Order: sequence, then C-alpha cells, then structure tokens
Amino acid sequence: MSERLLRILVTSFMQLLEAGLKMTMPITLGAFALSVILGLLLAVVQVANIKGLKQFASFYIWIFRGTPVIVQLFIIFFGLPYVGIVIEAVPAAIIGFGLNLAAYNAESIRAAILAVPKGQTEAAYLVGLTYPQLMRRIVIPQAARVAFPSLWNNLISLVKDTSLAASITVVELFTRAQQVAARTYEPLAMYLEAAFIYLIFCTVLTWIQRIVERKMVWQSHTDNKNKRRGLLCLK
Amino acid sequence: MLKVTNIKKHYGKTEVLKGIDLEVNKGDVVAILGPSGSGKTTLLRCISFLSHANEGHISFAGIDGEMRRMSRKQIHELRMHMGFVFQSFNLFRNKTAIENVMEGLVIPRHVPKDEARAIASRMLEKVGLSDRTDFYPDELSGGQQQRVAIARALALSPEVILFDEPTSALDPELTTEVLAVMRDLAKEGTTMVVVTHEMEFAKEVADRVIFMENGVVVEDSPSSLFFTNPKEERSAAFVKKILQK
Ligand SMILES: Nc1ncnc2c1ncn2[C@@H]1O[C@H](COP(=O)(O)OP(=O)(O)O)[C@@H](O)[C@H]1O
Ligand SMILES: [Mg+2]
Repeated sequence: MSERLLRILVTSFMQLLEAGLKMTMPITLGAFALSVILGLLLAVVQVANIKGLKQFASFYIWIFRGTPVIVQLFIIFFGLPYVGIVIEAVPAAIIGFGLNLAAYNAESIRAAILAVPKGQTEAAYLVGLTYPQLMRRIVIPQAARVAFPSLWNNLISLVKDTSLAASITVVELFTRAQQVAARTYEPLAMYLEAAFIYLIFCTVLTWIQRIVERKMVWQSHTDNKNKRRGLLCLK
Repeated sequence: MLKVTNIKKHYGKTEVLKGIDLEVNKGDVVAILGPSGSGKTTLLRCISFLSHANEGHISFAGIDGEMRRMSRKQIHELRMHMGFVFQSFNLFRNKTAIENVMEGLVIPRHVPKDEARAIASRMLEKVGLSDRTDFYPDELSGGQQQRVAIARALALSPEVILFDEPTSALDPELTTEVLAVMRDLAKEGTTMVVVTHEMEFAKEVADRVIFMENGVVVEDSPSSLFFTNPKEERSAAFVKKILQK
C-alpha cells in the first residue's frame, strides 16, 4: 500500500467517522425514537379498537408502507415548501425516516400486544384494573419484550437507510465518503471505508441488543452459571 | 349474598346456559360438578362478566339488575367484590409473586405501597409461599403459581371467590397442595364457588353441590345428601363414573 493511500485512509477515516457520529447516528436515533412512540400509538389505537383512530392507523400504515421512503423524504423536504412548510434537511430526514418506520414498528408492536396471553388481561380486569392501566402495567411491558428484536432489527436497517438522506442535501457518512472519493480519486478505498464504519455502528447495536435481551428476561433466580453458559452458546 | 337467576347464554345457535339460577350465602362453599362441556366455565365467566350473558339477573354487592343492562362502571364495581381463580393461573408474567398480589391493592384500591406489601406478604404466607415472594411466575411450579393466584384473589378481601377447575392443570402432588390451601380457606369461612372434578374435595369441603349438565342445573343438594343419596339419577350416574376412575 502506498504511503499516500495510507495517509488518505487515516485522515478520511476520522472525517467519515465524524460524519457518522454527528449526522448518521443522531438522525437514526431521532427517527427511531419518533418511530417507536408513533408506532406504539398506532398499534394501541388498533388493538383498543378506538373508532376513527383505528381506521386512521390502518390508512397511515397503508400509505407509509406502500410508498418508497425516498419519495416521502422528497415530499417533506422539496414538496412541502410549496405549501409554506419549510423544514431544514436534518429535521426533515428525522421526520421522514421516523414517520416511515413508525408504520413498520406499529405492525411489530401490534403483533406483540396480541401475543400477550388473553388470560392475563382477564385476570387484570378481575383484580380491578381499567383498560389503560392493564395496557400500561401488564400488556405493554410484556409486548415490549416480544417486539424488541424486530424493533431493533428495524433500527439496524435504519442506520444504513439513512444514507438516502444524502438525496435531500444532508451530509452524512455516505455523502462525506462521496466527497472524499471525488477529491482523492480513491473511490474503492473510500467506499470500503464507509462500509466498514457502517459495519462498526451495526456491530455495536447488535451487542447492545444482546445485552438488553438478556436483561429483559423475567427471572431473578436463574443461577449465574447457566446464564454464562447461555452466553457461551451464543458465540 | 350472591344471587343470579335465569342466566342464559348462547354462542351462535348453541345454547350453552339454558336458564341457570344460583344463590350463594355468606360462608358457603358451593361445588359445581358436571361433565365437560356442560357450561360450568361459561357460568362463572358470565357471573364475572368476562362473557356477556344474553339474559339473567344478578344481585350482588349492593347492585341488583339485569346482567345485559350493567354499565361498565357497575361491572367494575361487581368485580371489585369478587375474586376469580383460573384453571390456567393467569399470573402477570412481568411481575413477581408479591407484585402479582399487590397489583389489585395498589392500583384499583389505592392502598399505600408498604401497606399493600405487608398484606401481600401475609397472603403469600397463608398459601405457604413466604420463601417465593420475589420469584417470577416462570420460576414457580404450577401448584405454586396457583397458590399465588389464590393469594392474589384473597388479598382483595372479596365477598366470594370463584374457582374454575383450579387443579385441573396440575399433577396429583401439586393438586394436593392447592386443595390444602382451599380447605384452609373454607375453614376460615371464605365464601367460595368451586368448579371441580375433585370428588373428595366436594364431599368433604363443600356445603352444597350443584350438578350441571347441558346448560341446566340438574341437582342442587347439600353435599352430604348429594354423595349418599342423590335426588337425580343422572347425578348419581356421574358420581359413580367419576369415582370409578
Ligand atoms: N367462546 C366460545 N365460543 C363458542 N362456543 C363456546 C365458547 N366457549 C364455550 N363454548 C361452548 O360452550 C359449551 C360449554 O363450555 P364450558 O362452559 O367451557 O363447559 P365446561 O366448563 O363445563 O367444560 C361447550 O360446548 C363449548 O364448546
Ligand atoms: Mg370448564
């Protein structure tokens, strides 16, 4: 490897990593937070069978799952200004990805809520809980555990999908790689490096997933030896 | 204390309950026997409004009226005075044993947390589970789970506890420990309605036996009479068949 290429790789690595940490990850996490909150609301109004809102939720999911996310981003960033709504590129990306992913998360959460055994709902009514109380205290905590892997899976997809934000002028990890590649005439090295950084982000998220999943088990007395053995099995 | 009359329930064209009357007095232990499919579970579910009766009248906890006309608030009020123990336990899986027992005290009844904890721990002691208070349902045997479920019902001081085949999902040894707890409750004067296939229990613990078949009450007798001298041929045949097993 030439010294020049090595130097380019090292300096660009910091630039790409910075773009990743300052743009890609905040957009990802912001959009994900929005998508989980909105997805939960969309799921709950469906299972609670709230007239009007339920129909709205299925309409919403139909629209946002049925159209490409890049089209949604363009509508928000380039389209809305024509009706007087101007949103900066980064918030537009967070909103666009958030609204889109909410449709998918709503379906995961809805399925998870329906997976909570009905008997517990009946038992909750019989000890005197109201519907909102039983949802908040019994059903949603259990549904969260069931939904978690698929929500997290969506998060990991989102990390990579945020590269589409480049198309609405956000200078995130991938755009940054394009810029450096154009300047240095080293496209192969730059794009490999970008790929590597995405891979690091996703790897870290996967670790976090493992840790959280292990913590989400409702057992206080499993002996630690078994737990450790379980961990070894995973590897 | 609890009186229901003429409960009717159908699913589509199948009539499951064809006009059931049931009266339970304070301190009574009433066993409901009957072949599977006779409508025993449906009866308990209608009384607790988990299923909606098509017809029938209920008088309980100061509320008196047509079951179909009960408002959500009245149903809540009725439920606040009855306990229910399911065949399949139905413990809250995200809560420990003691949290399961506390839930109905802390949230709907606004009992302060430490007071609720004290009551719950007394109830768990009563069902012999003092050493399992912080275990989650998944860490308990079926018999232990059912005893937590009994403690959960008991903690709310209900006027009556409805049991739907509380031991049918359990192995024989575990059945014994649950029945022992229920015997103690009966001795203390807890009012109970127990759907069961445990003839020994019905014979020794129940004051009254109701025998159901095809959605009707065939016989309603004091338990001593029911087992020695049943009024109806069909109940006699049923007892004989069960005892032969
Ligand atoms: N949700 C339901 N839908 C349709 N039929 C039902 C339902 N629940 C119970 N049944 C029917 O009602 C009858 C009585 O059931 P059940 O009350 O469970 O009887 P038991 O508890 O005495 O065994 C059965 O024939 C059963 O198939
Ligand atoms: Mg039954």
